[in-house]
Order: sequence, then C-alpha cells, then structure tokens
Amino acid sequence: MDRVPVMETKNLTRMYGKHVGVKDLSLTVYKGEIMGFLGPNGAGKTTTIRTCLALIAKTAGEITIFGMDSHRDAVEIRKKTGYLPGDFGLIPSVKVRSYLRYLLSLRECDSSKKMVSLAERLELDLDRKTDELSKGNKLKVGIVQALMADQDLIIMDEPSGLDPLVQQEFCRILREEKKQGKTIFISSHNLAEVESVCDRVAIIRKGQLVVVEDIQVLREKTGKVLEVEFSDPINISELKLEGVSEIHQDNGRFILTIHENLDGVIRAASNHRILNMSLKTYSLEQLFLKYYAEKENKKEVVHDAW
Amino acid sequence: MLGRIMYMEFRTGWKGLLIFGVFILVISAGIVQIFPFYRDSLTEQLEGANKVNLVLPNEQGGNITLSWEPLENATSYMILEDIRLSMVTAKLTYLGKDTSITFKKDFEEKRYYAVMAVIDEASDPVLIGIATTEKGEDPFKELLKNPAYSGFTGGRSISMLEVKGFIIFEFFGMWWIVAGLFIAHLSVSVIASDFENKRMDIMLSTPISRRRYLLEKFGVMNIIALLIILIAIIGLAGGLASINALNEFSADALFLSSISCLPFLMVIEAVGILTAVLFQKVRTGMGVTFTFVFANSFYTPLVAFPEALDG
Repeated sequence: MDRVPVMETKNLTRMYGKHVGVKDLSLTVYKGEIMGFLGPNGAGKTTTIRTCLALIAKTAGEITIFGMDSHRDAVEIRKKTGYLPGDFGLIPSVKVRSYLRYLLSLRECDSSKKMVSLAERLELDLDRKTDELSKGNKLKVGIVQALMADQDLIIMDEPSGLDPLVQQEFCRILREEKKQGKTIFISSHNLAEVESVCDRVAIIRKGQLVVVEDIQVLREKTGKVLEVEFSDPINISELKLEGVSEIHQDNGRFILTIHENLDGVIRAASNHRILNMSLKTYSLEQLFLKYYAEKENKKEVVHDAW
Repeated sequence: MLGRIMYMEFRTGWKGLLIFGVFILVISAGIVQIFPFYRDSLTEQLEGANKVNLVLPNEQGGNITLSWEPLENATSYMILEDIRLSMVTAKLTYLGKDTSITFKKDFEEKRYYAVMAVIDEASDPVLIGIATTEKGEDPFKELLKNPAYSGFTGGRSISMLEVKGFIIFEFFGMWWIVAGLFIAHLSVSVIASDFENKRMDIMLSTPISRRRYLLEKFGVMNIIALLIILIAIIGLAGGLASINALNEFSADALFLSSISCLPFLMVIEAVGILTAVLFQKVRTGMGVTFTFVFANSFYTPLVAFPEALDG
C-alpha cells in the first residue's frame, strides 16, 4: 500500500544572512509514522520545523503539509497540527487549566477531557499558576497543549527534560497517538528518548540531511558490537574474519563491529582465555556518533562512547 | 472564537490597568481642587497691577512719574526696568523709601517697570506691581497674550481665571502626554513581550492568523484607551462638581474635549504595535514609541507656536 505523505520538503533552504540555517533539505514524513529528527545543537532542526510551520520565512524550496502550501495555507494547516516549540514561554499569572482552555478555544476545539487525561498521565497539576511551574512541569504543559486537540500531525522540538517515569509515559502516549493514525515528527539530541518510539530517523548536520533510514535497517547496516576482553595478549589478525567491519583494540579489550559470521568470531575468540564478553546493538546515540565519525574520519569517537 | 486574545489580555493585565485607572482618576479629580487657590492667587497678582501708577509726559523729553501704594512692613522699595515683560535683562533703577519717583523720558521704545517692596534683608522682595510706558495697557493681560501662551493654546484666548482655562492648561496640557506614554508602553509590550518571553510560537501554532492576532491586540488597546478617557471624564466631572463648577460646562463639551484624544492615542497604538512587530523587543519598541510621543510634544511649540505668532 502506498504511503501517504503528510509533510514534505523539497530543497528547503533557509539562510540567516550568509549563515546557512538549512540547505537543500528534502524530507518526507508519512502518515501514521513517528519520525525522529536528529542532529546536534545548531544543526538546523529548529529552523526546519519553524520554517515548515511558517513561523519563519523560507529562503527557497517547497514545503507541503497535508498537500497544502505551508506558508500560503498556514492557518488551515495549523488547524490539523499540534506543535511543541523547543523553547517557549507561558502566559503568566493564570492557572494551567485556564491557559490550556484558552489555547483550546483558539483552536475552537472542545477536548478538555483529553487535556485532563494527558495532564493526569504526565502528573501535571492543572490548578497551579503558570509562573510557579518548574522547567519540567512547563515542558509537560507544552506537551499537553501539543497533543490535547487531537491533531493529525504533531511536531515536537526537543521534548527532553522529563523524569524517567514520566518519560516512559510520554513514550506510551506517543505510541498510542501513532496507533490512532497520527503522524509525529520529533526532533531531539537526546537520542535514547527517540529510539524507543521512532519508526524512522533523519539525521541532519550543518543544515544538510545526512541520512533518512528505518531504525531497523539502520541497525542492520551498522551491525552489532562484540566486546571481548582476553587475559593474555592476542594477535589482532586472528579476529579479522569475514563479516567483521571494524576492530578497535584497547590493551586486552577488543571492540568488533560484526554484520554476519558471529559464530565464527566467537569460535576464534574461544581459542584464548576470555575474561569478559558482551554483545550489544548500536544505540541510536552510537549510531548518531558513528555517522558523524564516518563523515569526519574520527572512528575513535564511536569507540570511546562504549 | 473572536475576542479570546482580547479577553486573555484583560485577564492577565487588569491589575496594571486598575492602578493606572486610579492614578488617572486621582489626577483628573485632584487637579481641579487646586483651581480655587490658584484663581485667588492670580487675582491678587492682577490686582497688584492697579497698585502701581505710571504717568507719561505730554511731550518727548518730559518726565515720567511712577507711584505705588505703600506696603505695610516695607523697609524700602526697588524698581527694576526692562524692555521685556519677562524682566530677564532688568536693571535696578531705584532703591529707596519713597513711594513716588520722577525721571526723564529720553527713550522711544516700550519699557516695563517692576515695583518691589523690600521687607527685610533675610527675605526676597515682594512684587507690588508692573507698569508699562505703553498707554492703556495692562502688563498682566499682555502676559496672557504672550505668544508662549497663545502658541500653547493654538492662538485661542484663554483665561486662567476661569476653570475652563485652568483645565486646558493644567490638565489637558499634560494629560495626553501621560496617557500617550501609558498607551505607548502597553501597545509595545502586549506584542513585544510575547516575542521576548517566547510565547509567540505557541500562539501562532494555533489557527490564528497574524492579522487577527494584531487586530485583537489593537482592539485591546483601543478599549483601554477609551476606558482611561472615560475615567478621566468621570474624574474631571467629579472634581468640578466638588468645587461647584460643573455648571460652567455642558456634558457634551466635557465629553468631546476628552474623547478627542482618542484618535491621537490610536495613532500611538499603531506606532507601538508596528515597532513591536519590527523590533520584537520591548525596550527598543518603547524607545521608538516614546520618542514619537515626545516628538508630538515638541510639535506644539515648534509648529503651533510660530503659527500663533504669524496670526
């Protein structure tokens, strides 16, 4: 079945004078998926999102959301889009409940049941004043306002800073939204948060898209990591077998990236006395670092991360 | 729903509005209370002009006789002479105990003589009155015709002895600057603070167009401007009633003279909103808008003043 594009950019460029915000970015987010948008600070994630929502002007390129032009039909698009900005303020001196109701009324939407339900699940007190909230609680208000109006597309710009239990609940909420057919575009540099919920990931660097891939495919491409520690020194060439793409040695400890032939590698390793052995998959964090390291030929960055 | 942004502005900003409203009420009602004392003081000064008598000679080169009513407790009298009513370049022509002097008229131009009584060495001399060499002229009435005053009032004849004139000078003279600065401050901050406090992204992620957002903010400012004008009218009416001067005004005149300030405040609102959108910073926007308000206060003496002089 053909996938339906919800948000699509073609050669999107946004310049800040001579400085590149985003350059030639072409990306498609499909209906019903959760896409992670990853990159370090200053990579262009927020610029991309704000341009897509017509909060700032684009320099060149095309953006269509729900088949509509993002700038010309901005108001129509916003009726179907929820947005959590990366950095935002709340109207002061009002209760959270009043503030959220105010936003619902601007959306001409009466889904206060969902608002209350989301607040309960995220442990947000609706009767507190907005200027009394901690950073984490303020983020919860932002998350609730982005999700409460049952929008078809939800865009979240770096929703990190929740405590671990609430973070888990937040991920559950996102998965539930996805099950209901919602499309979620979520940017982050806290990769562990995104890893557990995303179907696909786009990595951006210096305003340009590095890769767009399914998380599963990405992991298969990059393989698994075998870490072995021997009691005695061994010759590294003994471990250079078919299916092993990288070997990194740190005294008696070896870190191998394996795509296939795992049993052959283990047999070769078992010829020596093994002190420790562990098999891991690359976390998104390490994948992310790996992509960067490969681009900049700094492989030690990845291994140092283990 | 139309008006939601306006409602939220009032809901979050009502305290500031209330404080300013009370301030305007106190100013408008309170300033009228000064009038009776001011009128009595001015009347006393004007009567002082009658206490000095200047007799001109029938022919050029004759003697001028300047006499004045003696003042109780005066130890001596001094006379200052100047060609300007302001007396800023006056020179002392007489110091003594006489209450009448005679001197030769050997000049053509108009001159002014201020007669002052010296009570003791510790206190300042007391003005008895001012006389001029121009026949049939009252220097104090001339003072009120001075271009500095007529320019300020747009060339209209306004008497400070009447409550109407007093209100025009003392209330409306400063009211529009105070109201203008308040409106300038509000109109900039209602928008620029949304940018500065990063509230704009969430606001504009709702299906609210920029046009509607700005129009609702402009609407809020218009309602506030109207409210403070009405408060000023109520304050003035209350103040006038308290000194039994309300019957000197018609309700229409009082209302229209106050409400005529609204277009001016609306222009300030528009400038404030424009600068807030352009600069997105409260301080910068306020600097520009305040400059606009003060530039208007310079406009009056710089443009209306010469026009009055030409008239």
